[in-house]
Amino acid sequence: MATVIEMKGDHQEFKEEIETTDMALFVRTSDEAMYGWDRQKIVDALIRETYVDFDTAKEIAREVEDLIATSKIKMITAPLIRELVDTKLIERGLEQARKMHTRLGMPLYDVDQLILHPNKENANVPHGPEATNLTLAERIKKEYALLSVFSQEVADAHMRGDIHLHDLGFIDRPYCSGQSLEYIKRFGLSLPNSIAMAKPAKHPEVLLAHMVKFAAALQSHFAGAIGWDSINLFFAPYLEGLSDPELEQLAQMMIFEFSQQAVARGGQAIFTDLNLYWEIPKHFENVPAIGPGGKFTGKTYSDYLKESQRFAKALFDVYQEGDGSGRPFFFPKPLVHITEKFFQTPGHMDFLYHICDVASEKGNTYFVFDRGETAKISECCRLSFKLDQTDFEDAKQPWKMRYCALQNVTLNLPRIAYLAKGEDSKLFSKVAEFVEMTVKAHLEKKLFIEKLLSLGEKGPLALLAMDRDGSPYLRMHRASFLVGMVGLNELVQIHTGQEMHQSKQAFKFGLKVIAHMKLLVDKFSQRYGMRFVLEQTPAESTAYRFAKLDLKYHSPKSGHIVKGDISKGEVYYTNSTYLNNSAVLNPIERVRQEGLFHPLIEAGALTHIWLGEARPSKSSLANFVMKTFRWTQNDQIAFSPEFTTCNTCSRTSRSLRSSCAYCGSEDVDGITRITGYFTKVSSWNKGKIGELRNRYRNQAFLEEREGGMALEV
Amino acid sequence: MGSIKIFTKAHCPKCPAVKEIGAALKKEGVPVLNFDLDTIDGLAEASFYSILSTPSIVIEDEREREVVSWRGVVPSLQEVKQYLLK
Repeated sequence: MATVIEMKGDHQEFKEEIETTDMALFVRTSDEAMYGWDRQKIVDALIRETYVDFDTAKEIAREVEDLIATSKIKMITAPLIRELVDTKLIERGLEQARKMHTRLGMPLYDVDQLILHPNKENANVPHGPEATNLTLAERIKKEYALLSVFSQEVADAHMRGDIHLHDLGFIDRPYCSGQSLEYIKRFGLSLPNSIAMAKPAKHPEVLLAHMVKFAAALQSHFAGAIGWDSINLFFAPYLEGLSDPELEQLAQMMIFEFSQQAVARGGQAIFTDLNLYWEIPKHFENVPAIGPGGKFTGKTYSDYLKESQRFAKALFDVYQEGDGSGRPFFFPKPLVHITEKFFQTPGHMDFLYHICDVASEKGNTYFVFDRGETAKISECCRLSFKLDQTDFEDAKQPWKMRYCALQNVTLNLPRIAYLAKGEDSKLFSKVAEFVEMTVKAHLEKKLFIEKLLSLGEKGPLALLAMDRDGSPYLRMHRASFLVGMVGLNELVQIHTGQEMHQSKQAFKFGLKVIAHMKLLVDKFSQRYGMRFVLEQTPAESTAYRFAKLDLKYHSPKSGHIVKGDISKGEVYYTNSTYLNNSAVLNPIERVRQEGLFHPLIEAGALTHIWLGEARPSKSSLANFVMKTFRWTQNDQIAFSPEFTTCNTCSRTSRSLRSSCAYCGSEDVDGITRITGYFTKVSSWNKGKIGELRNRYRNQAFLEEREGGMALEV
Repeated sequence: MGSIKIFTKAHCPKCPAVKEIGAALKKEGVPVLNFDLDTIDGLAEASFYSILSTPSIVIEDEREREVVSWRGVVPSLQEVKQYLLK
């Protein structure tokens, strides 16, 4: 509510009336009521919002009143009064009080620009009124976070660009999450603050509807992705007796539902990950299955293998076709878990060929490798939760399997190298310093979220606090706190003179840095009883932000190190622990080498294989996948073809072009994977455009053969 | 002759046995490198060889190519010597 104060009469009259409590001054509020000026309001605000004492507050109020009275301004707004009070606080050296009293927001000019021009920080958010709302709200929450949630030290480290606090605009939310469909199968849809309550679904379409609604509600309580575990398995008890066309229909519905734009988070599609298994995951084999009506069916999940597999196949049939105009679906993302048991389950080769065909044709498939006894739930582009013994216990009651990462804080590794100036000991100690700052940030965010959660189901995080099964929906004891990194390749380049792909020593040095980080987070985890884990930050905009800041603070050296085209402003650092994306490497070798880092990066990692316009045969990709599983430690891979979609004739062709292959129109847009999801290139920030230009598309390793194009291994 | 790299960790029940093998070989003049996975160098080196469990041993030739490795198991001193002599 903006208040407008109108000066009445001549200023000279004011001065005489100053000692009286009712100045002839009116405050007009935006709901068209009129209030008289009352300097007591300044005092009240200071007492309420800061720790300033009563006398000082009175003094300040009088000084501001003087200032207004002697000015020639005809209309004064409440924000301006607040700023005047703030200057009085600064004059007295009361910086803390000033921070607490400050107003958050944006200049008029900025709002104007924002409403007109798209914000490219998140390529998933389409420009529109909801997106504008999102940006405005995020700005305020960001300021709030840096002033009130995080300490000055942490906030400064972020502003400097030593670290990056992700999703500051979502300060009052956790980051990414892993969900279980079993929860709504069992409890139905009964969300806090909802208008109507739904009993557990009896039919698969209704279950799907519940899932979509729940996902939308979750999306507005998390900053990142919503991942669903074993989704084809958990749907299976509802699919008994469905004909092929009916099943196909359901699969279509699921994919189309999740691929459309929602309302939450600026109108973007719900960031959805579907974890799929060809086999019955070991930990669910003997678990009693929940079916229609939320009742136990009397069988265990092992009994639903057929339905589970049929559904998985049907989903991939839909992915293969693409959307109404043949484009790949951007969401939901299908993550197929490749395990030992996968290879022991009949029919796996056909399924592998199918999903590889989709990978080549449309690029959707993510291959997650769970070697040995590990099991993981994936969400986001690479974040995953490794299940441990307690989780396997929880697996007996699968609705309990809910996980989240509370926050991600990322280190600017090249910055550390600039600061270390070539000295090993300095470098490693700076890494420790930065990790410690990261831990501090996590502790501060955890405190804040716990404060919000403590207000329970009537509080601001009601959905996360809701308790239907004996514990709050958000299980804090299973939360992870992510420590990410950007630009390991550039750190190594600055420190050793070589990039990681250029020599064994350089590569091993990179391993040392990450080993150091891993040992540090383990120590901190023990010290605080929290799970600090390393993650490969997707760095959609962080790699760009860090590069820009380092060009500012560490020139001229940084000018030789940042990747991309400085003159175009398309600068970036190599993502996380990746090898230079333009290096000409045999893709399996890239997968193997990058994979050496993966066991250290517990919260998840991914290697991209850029295909450009190539369409390798499914057998060639299947071969690649099997080799990756058997001979490397790589956590996850995804093959990414590129497409051009025409805004004039709506057709889609392969490869990135500047004009439509069908109608010749230049009104085209590219489609390919940005960091961990498909999106239109026109929405990418400059840093990612730069990175896109440099991607090595494995041309030297793709060969036309008799059976089709092969990806050389 | 190449090198033999031994990987161990604290609280690893089979590790002392492997350390003994290393000590015995060292006495005979074999270049033995010990890596403790609780240290930066140890963990980094272990990652390079995809060593996920301890104790582990890797033997390399003069050109730093892997000749043989034992991962998570303790070979006999005989077995190890066999490969070194080759």
